[in-house]
Amino acid sequence: MSTVVSTTKLHLNKREATFAVPLYITAMVAVISVLISLLFLRAGSVPGSAEWIESSRMNPGMIYALSGFLVYLGVQSVATTFPFALTLGSTRRSFAAGTLVWNVIMSAYLAVVFAVMLMLELATNHWFAGFYIFDIIVLGAGDLRLLIPIVFLSTLLLLTVGGVFGASWVRYGANGPVVLGVGIGIVIILALIVLIPQLPSMLASFELWWLAIAAVVAILASSLGTWTLLRSATVR
Amino acid sequence: MTHALDIQQVTRSFGRTAAVDNVSFQVPENSIVGLLGRNGAGKTTLMSMLAGQDRPDTGTVTVLGDKVFERANTLSGISYVRDNQRYPDNYMLHHVLRIAPAFKPNWSRELADELVDGFRIPAKTKITKMSRGQLSSVAIVLSLASRAPITLLDEPYLGLDVTGRALFHRVLLDDYQTHPRTIVLSTHLIEESAALLDRVVIMDKGRIVVDDETENARDGAFVASGQTDAVGRLLVNHRILETHTVGALASVTAAGTLDDTLRQSARVAGVQLARASLQELVSAYGVNESTSETKEKVRA
Repeated sequence: MSTVVSTTKLHLNKREATFAVPLYITAMVAVISVLISLLFLRAGSVPGSAEWIESSRMNPGMIYALSGFLVYLGVQSVATTFPFALTLGSTRRSFAAGTLVWNVIMSAYLAVVFAVMLMLELATNHWFAGFYIFDIIVLGAGDLRLLIPIVFLSTLLLLTVGGVFGASWVRYGANGPVVLGVGIGIVIILALIVLIPQLPSMLASFELWWLAIAAVVAILASSLGTWTLLRSATVR
Repeated sequence: MTHALDIQQVTRSFGRTAAVDNVSFQVPENSIVGLLGRNGAGKTTLMSMLAGQDRPDTGTVTVLGDKVFERANTLSGISYVRDNQRYPDNYMLHHVLRIAPAFKPNWSRELADELVDGFRIPAKTKITKMSRGQLSSVAIVLSLASRAPITLLDEPYLGLDVTGRALFHRVLLDDYQTHPRTIVLSTHLIEESAALLDRVVIMDKGRIVVDDETENARDGAFVASGQTDAVGRLLVNHRILETHTVGALASVTAAGTLDDTLRQSARVAGVQLARASLQELVSAYGVNESTSETKEKVRA
């Protein structure tokens, strides 16, 4: 009997944190974005002008605000849920697989929510007042074909990275995340040392899909890392 | 006799400390076994390995005829809630009651409801904010309502009031009658649990020092009380487990059975003999080697 489905249900069991809290955060950032727009309005900016649109679309608040929560969600999905999953009778293998399935469900859910909100924003000509909440540069500048993979892969990346840090804590205690963080930092610096002479030419030929490939690689590495760390983890 | 649990030559070390040291024992199917001993004796480590939450460095753990580590089928038949169980962030009682049936095929909602009512577990309190007794109550609900063929209870009484403990005993026995299962119970409230136990396994420093049916185990030790020198002479050929002295008087727990010859000698020497209680037995086996000086004093 596989407990993959049961483990996914275990993660979905916290319905508010899974489905509602991301919406609360999104709504809160939307309100703050509107308030900032009103501030610019009072300062003399003209809604609909090229300057207004450009500065509104540069607002990355939506990504920043959700990122912190999604990393936390990823960490706790392993750090505090793994011991309880073992108590319920999950295997480590099923837990890792079930957690990845839940990560994918969460990512798809947020991608759908953001896609619907973008469509609403475009259909209402930016909420009837020129407010740019979802039609922003980091989310694809109003292009659904970009927004959906950006939100899906970003969410999946943040959850899986949080998960591998949670797994390192389960496996090695407080030292785990520190060593993992330092290790990742060293790898990034070494990669930069090797690549920096070619960096200008690489940036010149940069394509957006490179980021997607990088995200997929990081997601796979994080998921594999989580499974590897949990394989030998014991609960005390 | 079918054995539900079979542990053979199991050792588990953490650093240089052997938490479980070359342990072997078997537990008959559908019996209640007390896993007893001092803090740090190795009980929780052993239970963790029985539940597949840890694995031995050497030796084998077999549950219901199968290996347990990473075996989903075997694990679905085991219920083990740790005394310091961690729950996901912001969990409340309803989260536990909602998810348990997804993992436990024999989950009884009726039994869970009865226990939740009986223990008066608060519904709106986060589990991390619950008192020690309330945490134990949640663990008992999860353990008993799972009706798992193997139920491992690790210090289920911690912080429970007397009414809660009585409820636990009553429900455990009632449900055990109608849904027999193999239960391993670790506790320090030994006298309160003694009547439940078919067998006892007493551990000390990672090793098993007693593994027998409860009555036989109690027959394996006795307590002699009287003048220190008289007790010492009487027990000169016995293995002394624990000694308490007050002035010229001594109360000594010794290994061995009470036979007519010993009773006669005790009468002549003015020493009182009594069968050791389970608690005295566990206490005696947990005494540190440092008390051997006191033991020698009694012998002298």
